[in-house]
Amino acid sequence: MIFELQVVFGLIALAGALSAALLKDPYAKLIALGILVSGALPFIVDRGYLDVAIVASLIAPISTIFVLMAVRRAEQ
Amino acid sequence: MIALYVVAAIAVFAAARAILERNTGRRFPYANVLNFAVAGSLVLLLDHPITLVAAAAYFVGSTLEANAIASTYAGGVKR
Amino acid sequence: MLGELLHILAAAIISWILFVAVDIFFKLPETGGVVGATAIARDIEAGGGDLSGGTMMGNIVCSPDASAGTLLAACGVYLAGIPGGLAAAVMVYIGNRICHDPGYAGTTGAVLATFVVYGFTLVGFAASDFIAGMVIAILTIQGLSHTHASRLLGRLWRIRE
Repeated sequence: MIFELQVVFGLIALAGALSAALLKDPYAKLIALGILVSGALPFIVDRGYLDVAIVASLIAPISTIFVLMAVRRAEQ
Repeated sequence: MIALYVVAAIAVFAAARAILERNTGRRFPYANVLNFAVAGSLVLLLDHPITLVAAAAYFVGSTLEANAIASTYAGGVKR
Repeated sequence: MLGELLHILAAAIISWILFVAVDIFFKLPETGGVVGATAIARDIEAGGGDLSGGTMMGNIVCSPDASAGTLLAACGVYLAGIPGGLAAAVMVYIGNRICHDPGYAGTTGAVLATFVVYGFTLVGFAASDFIAGMVIAILTIQGLSHTHASRLLGRLWRIRE
């Protein structure tokens, strides 16, 4: 991956991480975590780790669903 | 190849709008554009048949995640 | 470089027409479906948009539809020709069922797009043009102005009804 593209995807991941920390709305935080993973995944694929990429892209949404379930349980 | 740069530019634009948008319901379409862009960029980065599986897995996963967050958001409850 | 940009823009227009037509044919703007899509439609309407158009945009977010099918089919054709595109259609079908969507908009879009993209690769386009083109097309619907896009989709939906 050329350097500029690495910067672009790195910035996407960084922006996702920062906004997950700074945004107040809980749904915005979850969306921001999704942005973080989206920014990180091209690096994994670029190096050829396709199996890692497939596993990561299946685990990330499942953990978001678990977070939503835990939050619902916590508020009961 | 220029397609990859176009897609990456759209990705960063969509990510910025998703972060800067105030209304939660309107964040989702911007994040959806980002998912499209990243799925496309995965395929354009690595020329291998299994990249299609990775892009499809990523796209379905991100759609499922957005669906889950939107359904919980729709539950109405800002408890 | 300019030639390739023009190809990408042409591919964007073709993909736009393809996925909007298939989605409207499969009644994506019809209200009362997935809960998440309704919530997104409500927020888009609150911002000045059209409810039916917003419902279609919400459905695009919540389940793989013809837009996703077109993108993944273009990726499949880019990597492996027509078999790649059809393999992408199978994966879109599985993705639809995983997202509890009983519809066929995604699969139909993917199969149609496979042949459309392959056909255009025979006349000088590259499949990668359609990947970038589809991302541009979805940007125009979901990423620029939700109010204007939903109103346009709403108007197209009323033509269908």
